[in-house]
Amino acid sequence: MDRINRAAKWVFGFGAGLSMALVFLIIFVNSLRRYTVGRSVAWGEELPIYLTIYGVMFGLALAYLNDQHIRFTVITDMLPERVRNALFGLADVVTIAAGAALAYAGHVFATRRGNVDSSGLKATADGLAASTGLDWLVWLGKVGPWQYAVAFGGAILAVAAALRLVQRLSSRQEI
Amino acid sequence: AQTIRVAHVDPDDWTGSKKGAAAQIFKNIVEGESDMTVEIFPAGALGNEDELVAQAQDNLTQVVLVSGAMSKICPAASVLDIPYTFSSATVAWDVLDGEFGDALSEHCREQTGLRTLAYGETGFRNFTNNTRPITKPEDMAGLKFRVQPIPLYVEMVKGLGGEPTPIAWTELPNALSTGVVDGQENPVGVIYNNGLHKLQKYMTLDGHVYAADFILISDEFYDMLEPAQQEVVAKAARVAGTMGRAIQQWNTAEGVGKVQAEGMEVFSPTSEEIAAFAEKAQPAVVEYLRGELGDDAEWIDRLQAAVTDATQ
Amino acid sequence: MVYVILIGGLLAGVPIAIAIVAALLYFMATGEAPYTLRIVPTEIFKGLNSFPLLAIPLFVLAGELMNESGITGRIIAFANVLVGRMRAGLALVNIWASVIFAGLSGSAVADTSAIGRVFIPEMEKHGYDRSFAAALTAASSVIGPIIPPSIPVIIYALIVSGVSVPALFLAGVVPGILLAVFLSAYVMLTVKVDHGDQSADLDGPSSTEALLQGILPLLMPVLVVGSILLGIVTPTEAASFAVAYALILGLFVYRKIRLTALPGLFASAMRDSAVILIIIAAVAAANWLLTYNRIPNMLTDWVLANVDSKTAFLLATILLFLFVGLFLEGIAAMLVLVPILHPIAVSMGVDPTHFGILVIFNLMIGLITPPLGLCLFVAEGVAQVGMARLIRSIMPFFLVEVLVLIILTFVPQTVIWLPRVLGY
Ligand code: NA
Ligand code: NA
Repeated sequence: MDRINRAAKWVFGFGAGLSMALVFLIIFVNSLRRYTVGRSVAWGEELPIYLTIYGVMFGLALAYLNDQHIRFTVITDMLPERVRNALFGLADVVTIAAGAALAYAGHVFATRRGNVDSSGLKATADGLAASTGLDWLVWLGKVGPWQYAVAFGGAILAVAAALRLVQRLSSRQEI
Repeated sequence: AQTIRVAHVDPDDWTGSKKGAAAQIFKNIVEGESDMTVEIFPAGALGNEDELVAQAQDNLTQVVLVSGAMSKICPAASVLDIPYTFSSATVAWDVLDGEFGDALSEHCREQTGLRTLAYGETGFRNFTNNTRPITKPEDMAGLKFRVQPIPLYVEMVKGLGGEPTPIAWTELPNALSTGVVDGQENPVGVIYNNGLHKLQKYMTLDGHVYAADFILISDEFYDMLEPAQQEVVAKAARVAGTMGRAIQQWNTAEGVGKVQAEGMEVFSPTSEEIAAFAEKAQPAVVEYLRGELGDDAEWIDRLQAAVTDATQ
Repeated sequence: MVYVILIGGLLAGVPIAIAIVAALLYFMATGEAPYTLRIVPTEIFKGLNSFPLLAIPLFVLAGELMNESGITGRIIAFANVLVGRMRAGLALVNIWASVIFAGLSGSAVADTSAIGRVFIPEMEKHGYDRSFAAALTAASSVIGPIIPPSIPVIIYALIVSGVSVPALFLAGVVPGILLAVFLSAYVMLTVKVDHGDQSADLDGPSSTEALLQGILPLLMPVLVVGSILLGIVTPTEAASFAVAYALILGLFVYRKIRLTALPGLFASAMRDSAVILIIIAAVAAANWLLTYNRIPNMLTDWVLANVDSKTAFLLATILLFLFVGLFLEGIAAMLVLVPILHPIAVSMGVDPTHFGILVIFNLMIGLITPPLGLCLFVAEGVAQVGMARLIRSIMPFFLVEVLVLIILTFVPQTVIWLPRVLGY
């Protein structure tokens, strides 16, 4: 169980860290270029936004595993240990349900109108597809794959909450 | 009775905002002549244009007034952006209010589930810059122009010999004042209202792209209305489009005077001079669009035929 | 049922953002057409789809890098040289280190934990009450988001069109310093024990060295905020420069950060930002639903019909924000209330910049008020003195901060003078 937890934290942390690094690099290099050589890339704005949205979803799941979300604790702090644990378990269940519902709703959202072009990314994605011969790359120029971040976030949030719940239940048995 | 939610991204104020004026007269007519209620959501309260269009497709918001977002969901509408197509606003009105506009409306309705009730206008876009007066395409050589990150605009500026630089709207004032770009292109009203004339010395009223406003209604909602209600809504939208055009024209005419009074040098090219620009820009954009549109490319020819009819 | 999920969930300890999303999902799933489930992800995506918002993860990253590069110690040494030898010196160093820290970080929580870890044990060693030290740390850390750069300011400027980030940044400088001065005065008047020369005990370099070493980190806010104010870069770009600067300091100048530590730092910066950003997105989705049903318009009409003077409106606003600050997380409160109150303030002739700083200052006070005060939580986490004791210790500081807020409210010049002088 501990190994699964560690693996999940590693994966979520990797996604969050990678997105943070890319967002910083793109924005920094793009603004440096703009102020030095006076040129910037068309996707310099949309891509970091979309990467951040994915990063937020990874960060959301990671924060859940680390118990770092902002929440009220005053009431729960006043309760006896056993009641409190039961409430936290309930909170995990609510989160699993919300995450799963969000994953479903997000899937509907992204597949329904994901075909719309993302104006900043379109030209680059089409160019990539043409030069590599990989037709699917044109999808990077559509909004769908990026909108899918919300569905993805719902899914990994549900996973994170499920891991917490299992952890809570198993640690209680040990007591 | 039904409630019609009307949304757009412009200010609410009817004297300075074309979509604001259009929305308000639409409300007044519909509420006056039917038992329906109209609620206006101005200034992007419900979202940006792309999001408004999506809401209308879901009948969440019933009527939306948009400009640029239309060609993203109905690619054929992008033929209206072919530079130097309309020699004047009245030609554009004739074309859009005539057979071509009706056919395009029907085509987009089938594709998107949104019915174009009427066309308003955002106005002709013009080049401004800080380096020299532009009287012929050759003057654009070597100048960096900020364009919206839309491929068609990139092709157009390339065709004219300038260097297109896609920069987001919010970054534009910075980019102009630090000289990251030499120029930009926008309707006069936008230039004046956002103080861009203070950052730019020269303007050429070349009117390269005529931006139309689309007054769209969810077709699902429209079908549910009684025939009498449909009639009121359609009439109100036509008046609203006309009102939007009138306010836009007023703002442009006033804006040209104001930017000159505040020190901008404005050049009004003759139709021969415009032809020189058209010769450079049009082929590049038309070629690009033919590649993009596929079967919809026929709309390029239909538009050109309609314009020829209207100018004769 | 929606309220049961929302309020019950919040009380049971469901994270705030998740409780809001769960309630919205339930509402959409059970609501009649046109409500449908996919509106929730649509609005969440929309809430995050913004370039200016990216300044938040970047500033958080810059703050974490600064922290890791050992700059907290340098700031404390710097403040120590300035005020350490005065009466109640160590307490003053705590306050003024927060003022300097404020220029590096947009986050009060980061300040509480960074400065608290050093100061709470140190102050106790010198005879201060541990709980007093924790309270002072939390109370002075709220200076962070008032003095630029500031995450709440960036969010405020996103909500309200027509208020610029540079103007708000400048407007926060005087109120932030004013708060530090009042806290200092309070500390000097009330600390009974003479803690005399205790500052000398802080391990560290000599005075000149400390001042010199403080300069490099202090250059960052000057460069970053300066370039935003001059209109050269946008806040998002400036934030990326701040990250680059912090990276250079940490990797090459102080050599405190190893390359292998970077992935972990990037990940935790995104995680800490995600916690803020997901609240923004969840509230944005809830706001869409409120706007769609014209609730803000109705509230505005009601206020305009019932509140007739500017003074009454400002007082009511203060009380309202102090009240919601008890329960709501600051950014969430701002996202819900500012779209309603800002237009009213403008129509009553309140300066928008003035109003913005009042709201932000007000909500920062909420960071130290129970039951939901983030800085209070963090200070308690560091000090471990028990929440009840800490709450008693924080009360006088809370009153001092409210006093400063009242001054800012009724003497608008304290806020708008600096931006006006510099042409905003
Ligand atoms: Na700050
Ligand atoms: Na402090």
